[in-house]
Amino acid sequence: MTGLLVALGTVAVAMVIGFLVRSLGGRTRPSTAGAVPDELRRVLAPGAAVTLVQLTTEFCGTCGQARVLLTGLVDDTPGLAHAEVDLTDQPELAKRLGVLRTPTTIAVDAAGAELLRVGGVPKREELLTSLRPHLPA
Amino acid sequence: MPAPPLAPRPTVDPRGPRFAAWLTSAVLVVVLATGWWPLLAAQAVVFALGGFAGLRYSPYSVLFRAVVAPRLRPTDEREDAAPPRFAQTVGFGFAVVGVLGYALGAPTVGVVATALALAAAFLNAAFGFCLGCEAYLLINRLSAKQRKVGTAR
Repeated sequence: MTGLLVALGTVAVAMVIGFLVRSLGGRTRPSTAGAVPDELRRVLAPGAAVTLVQLTTEFCGTCGQARVLLTGLVDDTPGLAHAEVDLTDQPELAKRLGVLRTPTTIAVDAAGAELLRVGGVPKREELLTSLRPHLPA
Repeated sequence: MPAPPLAPRPTVDPRGPRFAAWLTSAVLVVVLATGWWPLLAAQAVVFALGGFAGLRYSPYSVLFRAVVAPRLRPTDEREDAAPPRFAQTVGFGFAVVGVLGYALGAPTVGVVATALALAAAFLNAAFGFCLGCEAYLLINRLSAKQRKVGTAR
């Protein structure tokens, strides 16, 4: 009997987590992390006002979706670039960045400062609104 | 970084892993309700086949291809097989801990490990959210050797 209650309770908790992930995931969070590590600075697109650095792993289920969304956004937005860094074999870099899940997208300005980050597949309009002040008019 | 030339990565019909996640959830609910650990051991074997041998060798995947897929609309949609395969290895870890807990007289350990596996399987089934995939970095950090924990190749 206890086991059945645990099973039902687990499913209920998973439902709540699922709805939370669905509604909170992909939200844009402003960042105060400052300068990004050299590993990220290296992939910044020369000449872009902001580069969206997408962090991926080989085992990331939704990184493909994030890639499609971000490359589409970049195509439509002057001054914006997209780059990817694979963290599969770089646990130490993941630790320094404080990244626990993929995809995580970090927006970096031309000077190498972190502007904001998004965990999960970004919400396009919200991300664009947050990036506006950093992009050429 | 330049990737070495590889054979094309294996892909799956994304509905296959979802179907497998529903079956896994149902099996784990029965395990929790009955405490019958041989069923959890069987699920551990399913996880091991999918995770270590390859998704196509998982009995649930065989069932999907033989019985379910022919009844669904055909699809060109494919997704990378590595993430769900990795998640199967994570599930295997939880199932092994669960079996040991139940079988060695620590039922609380068995229940907790099984419940965690159920939560992950249900999130995958109902929301398409692959917890094991998203948390690869976290799992990697917690793994003692700081090395790739996945052997999904």
